[in-house]
Amino acid sequence: MTEAPLDARGLGKRFRREWGLRDCTLTIPEGAVVGLTGPNSAGKSTLLALAGGLLAPTEGTIAVLGRDPLREPAVLAEIGFVAQGAPLYRSFTVAETIELGRRTNAHWDGNLVAEVLRRVETTTRVGALSAGDRALVALALALGKRPQLLLLDEPFAGLDPLAGREFLKLLMDGVAETAATVVIASHVIADIERVCDHIVLLTGGGVRLAGNVEELLDSHRILMGPRRPLGTIRGVSEIVRERYGGRQLTLLVRSRGPILDPSWTVEQVGLEELLLAYMAPERLPTPQPAEKVALRWHG
Amino acid sequence: MAWVTWRQHRAQLIGMAALLVALAAAVVGTNLPIRAAYHRDTLSECLPPTSRAGCDIIVRHFLGQFDGWATALRGLAVLPALAGLFVGAPLLARELEHGTHRFAWTQSVTRRRWLLSKTALLALATVCAAAITSALVMWWRGPFDTLQGRMSPSGFDVEGVVVPAYALFALAVGVLAGLLLRRTVAAMTVTLLVFVATRLAVASFLRPRFEAPLHRTALATDTGRQVGDWILSDTLVDAAGRQITAGREDLAVLHAQQAGIDPHAYLVSVGWKRAISYQPAGRFWEFQLVEAGLFAALAVAVVLTAIWLVRRTPS
Amino acid sequence: MIEFHLDARSGVATYLQIVQQVKEALRLGTIEVGDQLPTVREVVADLAINPNTVAKAYRELEREGLVVARQGRGTFVSNTLASASVRHHEALRAAFERWIAAAEAAGLDDESIRALISSTLRETFARRVA
Repeated sequence: MTEAPLDARGLGKRFRREWGLRDCTLTIPEGAVVGLTGPNSAGKSTLLALAGGLLAPTEGTIAVLGRDPLREPAVLAEIGFVAQGAPLYRSFTVAETIELGRRTNAHWDGNLVAEVLRRVETTTRVGALSAGDRALVALALALGKRPQLLLLDEPFAGLDPLAGREFLKLLMDGVAETAATVVIASHVIADIERVCDHIVLLTGGGVRLAGNVEELLDSHRILMGPRRPLGTIRGVSEIVRERYGGRQLTLLVRSRGPILDPSWTVEQVGLEELLLAYMAPERLPTPQPAEKVALRWHG
Repeated sequence: MAWVTWRQHRAQLIGMAALLVALAAAVVGTNLPIRAAYHRDTLSECLPPTSRAGCDIIVRHFLGQFDGWATALRGLAVLPALAGLFVGAPLLARELEHGTHRFAWTQSVTRRRWLLSKTALLALATVCAAAITSALVMWWRGPFDTLQGRMSPSGFDVEGVVVPAYALFALAVGVLAGLLLRRTVAAMTVTLLVFVATRLAVASFLRPRFEAPLHRTALATDTGRQVGDWILSDTLVDAAGRQITAGREDLAVLHAQQAGIDPHAYLVSVGWKRAISYQPAGRFWEFQLVEAGLFAALAVAVVLTAIWLVRRTPS
Repeated sequence: MIEFHLDARSGVATYLQIVQQVKEALRLGTIEVGDQLPTVREVVADLAINPNTVAKAYRELEREGLVVARQGRGTFVSNTLASASVRHHEALRAAFERWIAAAEAAGLDDESIRALISSTLRETFARRVA
């Protein structure tokens, strides 16, 4: 069994006076497609930059495939990174950008790159491309080295829905071809809900929630019922969110086994709603043990 | 990295080449009439120790005619700085300013290797271009070097091996400035300031002392030139060797004029002499190597600093 | 060739939707035994979904005995669904009994008939799914 694609322990990064990321402990399993989400300035970009060897941690450790990307930069060859805004050299043509990728990477799959960019005119200057095509070029460069870990920072920002869907198709195709583990940071949950089998929710610099999507959805429920003082409810281990509307009380709870209390209407919860509930400030931050997630998906 | 460096800095390298071509054309174009005049007036016969009647006037005429060009040529001392401004400063500053370092540094090349390769290749190009510039200038200044020497700054700064060393130093400072300031315009400004300050400091304080200067005395009336030597100071001293202030000199001249005596003869009769300290022309290459070595060593130190620091850049 | 569609809002897990669509295609006769299912890459490039999801769906279908994965060549339909074939059972059975009678008349004993049947079955299926 090879090392986990990404393993962070107590990872933290301080910029001048503020902490961009604090006490992040996280393990991502091989082959997962992970959605990294949370409000802006939650630390998503910081986490990816630390994983990609662009930043040095202030505290804690980060290991990609068992290696520290700053101390053992050879692991960079296994990491595909698309930074926010898909930075590229605007004066280069697409073909020249591909050439740069070919010459500065250890192993290069020209065929895969050509497939991703089959609808992009390679003689065009990158600066003259649409945002969608630029994103595809950045993606192709990241996939071309056939990485084991693919990191994407807000790849859908600035893309219209059609371009976003095209990007997602080619991304998933590339993942199917390379069997890479993927981490996509996006503050718009809807963009990534379609493809992620794991979710990591970062808020205010810490890991608020992390786990296999199916398991998370299975272990949370919405309870609706008449307003009443709350005691313990059988089958509920924790109340995540309470909402009052007139005489109706709606709870989002973490369940422990089936909830058979007949005074409650029990429903499943959608991913976006679940994440929003964990993000909401009205939820008092109970000291959540930094969850070390042994993420496994069913199957 | 060779291809990447070439492609990214293509415009700068082509600009460098174009500048060299233009310079060569200008050098050849402006120098041919000078050499023609030199030979026509057979100025070679006016060089010490040979001399003939009227040499003084001929030489003065020649210099008067073409000295403007020679002075303009001193402006070429700015050329090495261009390496720092337009090649060195943008190297890191532009990447950091535009965020493309997040692209460049996430391929499979480490930051340090990336920076080292690029800097080394650009340094090579810079040194070659500077060497060609120096050679062109040395050729141009041929007549002037013979007549006036090249030990003084008007010749020293633009000839020989110091020019590539200056360019290397400017490039290095540009790279480090770009890394620290992360903005191209700011890096260019700081590079220029540091370059000028360092050059001035070395030329004013260090170069005169590379080796102990020589001293000689001359009669107050002796206005003979020391061809080729770099005069550091030329002052009047009295019989006891004390320096004579301008005020005292003016007073003495006034006194002589009122008495109807030739001022120069009066100064000699009073026992005043000229004390001259100088660096002889023969030390030219020695000084060139010392100064070039100094700037080259500085350049290396600055580049190594940049390479060491680049890993610590927060992104 | 089957084309999948995904209803993201249906509340049904993606992999189950794929499983259901394959079964439906089988029932309707859109795909038959021996047909190749779209590769994981093809499905993923078309629908923009997680490749693990497709793999999970195909594994589920294999578990149910409807498809078989051939290493390096793809996933192929190996079985039809009972409801489609039940109609034909009576006629097939009668034809089969006539064949056995013909084999006996030709002089084959029980063992030879069994051997002939097994080997023919084997070769025929191997040819179809190759």
